[in-house]
Amino acid sequence: MADPHASVWIPSLYACLYEPPLAETQRAAAEEAGHVAVIARDFSPRFEIDRDDLVSIDVSGLTRLLGPAQTIGEELRRAAADRGMRAHVAVAATRTAAMVLAQARPGLTVVVRGEEAAALAPIAIDILQKAAAATPAPISVFKSWGIRTLGELAALPAADLVSRLGRAAAVWQAVARGEDVRPLVPTLEEERFDFSLELEWPIEGLEPLSFVLTRVLEPLSTRLERRDRGAAVLHVILRLVTRDIYARRLELPTPMRDVRTLRTLALLDLESHPPPAAIDRVTVVIDPTPGRVLQHTLYTRAHPTPEQLSTLIARLGAVMGQDRIGAPATMDSYRPGAFAMKPFAVDHDINRGERRDRREERRSAISAPSAVNRDERLASALRRCRHPVPARVVVQDDRPVRVTTDRRGFTGGAVVRTAGPWRVSGDWWESAGGAGSHPFNRDEWDVALADGAVYVVFRDRDTDRWFIDAIVD
Amino acid sequence: MATLARADLETLLRDRKLDRTLTSTIPALDPADDAAIAPSGVPALDARLGGGFPRGHLSELVGPRSSARTSVLLKTLAAATARGELVALVDALDMLDVESAAAAGVELNRLLWIRGHVVPNPGFGRDVNQRALEQAIRAMALVLQAGNFGVVALDVADAPPLALRQLPFTTWLRLQRMVEGSPTVCVLIGSEPMARSSAGLTVRLGSGHASFGRRLFAGLDADARVLRARTHRHDEAPAPFSTVSPFCTAPALATLLTEQARHG
Repeated sequence: MADPHASVWIPSLYACLYEPPLAETQRAAAEEAGHVAVIARDFSPRFEIDRDDLVSIDVSGLTRLLGPAQTIGEELRRAAADRGMRAHVAVAATRTAAMVLAQARPGLTVVVRGEEAAALAPIAIDILQKAAAATPAPISVFKSWGIRTLGELAALPAADLVSRLGRAAAVWQAVARGEDVRPLVPTLEEERFDFSLELEWPIEGLEPLSFVLTRVLEPLSTRLERRDRGAAVLHVILRLVTRDIYARRLELPTPMRDVRTLRTLALLDLESHPPPAAIDRVTVVIDPTPGRVLQHTLYTRAHPTPEQLSTLIARLGAVMGQDRIGAPATMDSYRPGAFAMKPFAVDHDINRGERRDRREERRSAISAPSAVNRDERLASALRRCRHPVPARVVVQDDRPVRVTTDRRGFTGGAVVRTAGPWRVSGDWWESAGGAGSHPFNRDEWDVALADGAVYVVFRDRDTDRWFIDAIVD
Repeated sequence: MATLARADLETLLRDRKLDRTLTSTIPALDPADDAAIAPSGVPALDARLGGGFPRGHLSELVGPRSSARTSVLLKTLAAATARGELVALVDALDMLDVESAAAAGVELNRLLWIRGHVVPNPGFGRDVNQRALEQAIRAMALVLQAGNFGVVALDVADAPPLALRQLPFTTWLRLQRMVEGSPTVCVLIGSEPMARSSAGLTVRLGSGHASFGRRLFAGLDADARVLRARTHRHDEAPAPFSTVSPFCTAPALATLLTEQARHG
């Protein structure tokens, strides 16, 4: 007795729908009518959009529903005609054969199983330009060899062809023979990642919202994982009891789908921008992006993951302020102590290329002894007073001899050694510019005090006042 | 009997993970083990430290002004970034000179810089910067909790000692517990030792002697003395080292060259 649950093998059958370029007068009407993908979707969920004008459909199971291959092809043509399209349709046991025939022959072409190569044989070799667009074929080379049709290309010895033209030749020959080089990869409909939760009782405060957000984010995360997607932008839309909509938009630094991370980031954002009233509906919408592919290495130390770093930076921002966190950067400026802050990169694997460059640099440094010495020396560092500390400086013979200040923590005293002055000025060209400009014009000294402290002090030449600018440490 | 009681006590402490804070029974670290030791990049100091700063411990780098604390810290950060690690600096009083960091060789895009809020003139008798200190400690705790940073430094070198003493003692114990067992080097920069028994390593840098050339500030001559080290037997003899000044010399050299050119 046959097992009723046993799977039945259905021989593969593919249909291809090709919409040839139209004349200008017909184009507008065709665009209104729709796209080949719309017709494909009506027939099977397993279809692949190869180009805007070409679609391959897996019609293997349709023989039971519609009938033999000829009938399926006719139905497809009729559907296309109903939408105002004059489409070429080909049905074959291989996707490649159906694609080539649809592009080469008008009307409906149906190929008997096993006769694919024979059906393709008379087609001119120029069709490879369309059929194997991903790996452009050297048509002129084939023609110079006297190869004019796909049949003649298919008949060439494969090994000799590959040895002369490389691996791509195997693909061209497979196309000429009507053999599939890869399976059909169904084109999936762009999914919308959103989820809403209506609350019976309005909630106030972030703690209860945390549970609700988890509830909303969990199914979204599962769906993202299923589609190998990560969240690029997180929209948290809250409907308030006042009927107002309160929306927050979080651009995530790296694609992520970890529920805890997303929830923490959303909560931290809401902590700094709290909604003005109680919430009675929570909606989360995610803009998806392809997932991250990471290849870790055994030989370098583990870094914090982008999720950990994103959360850390959000938390630090809540404690210290967003403008106080980042990676420092030097500036092309003569202004002493000038610097810039950049966002701290959370995905340090993108710097692999740079790291390779650095290895190269290191290798070249080994061959240059002076470079090695430069690395080994310990550079004196400055501790910069972000707001220069006003000081009283006694000057004798044009040199500072005593430095004192009222600022707590700064000791003063007699100057035992000095170096300077070094005149520094800049941004004077912006002095008439207005609010944003801060011209500076100063004479700097390096002074060593009797207590061992070494300061960088300067006299502002415009105001004739002295300041401590930095501590050498 | 007394020996047995002590052994029992140590076992109990170890079970409760209290041995590292209350006793000194930590096995010595292998200086060649990159997973246990992070070299500072200052050879004289590394020799005294048995290879470098121990990972998973709270280390202190203390000393008066101009004793090269910041130079050593930046060199340690530079060494870590050169190894491909991420580093973080909690700059409680916002005193990092970015040019100095770049000159020390720190890869700036691998440095997470957390700048404290500092009020330049808090007013007579008030110290608003105490709040900056507390915020910095919170930030430090967050970074340590995130984990996997190579070096995390808290720079409170110019904070008033009184403000540091007002912090609860448990602050340092908590930080020590956070870093324990992690691959992170946690460094505190201050003028005086502050972590007390929580510190795994305390290095005091001696007051640097400023050396000047004919017209230029040349650098600092300093020395490092290991006051306390849980992970190895330490030598208390000072280790001298010196720094060279890349900043004071650059404009100075330019001036000198201009003068030389003018006088032929």
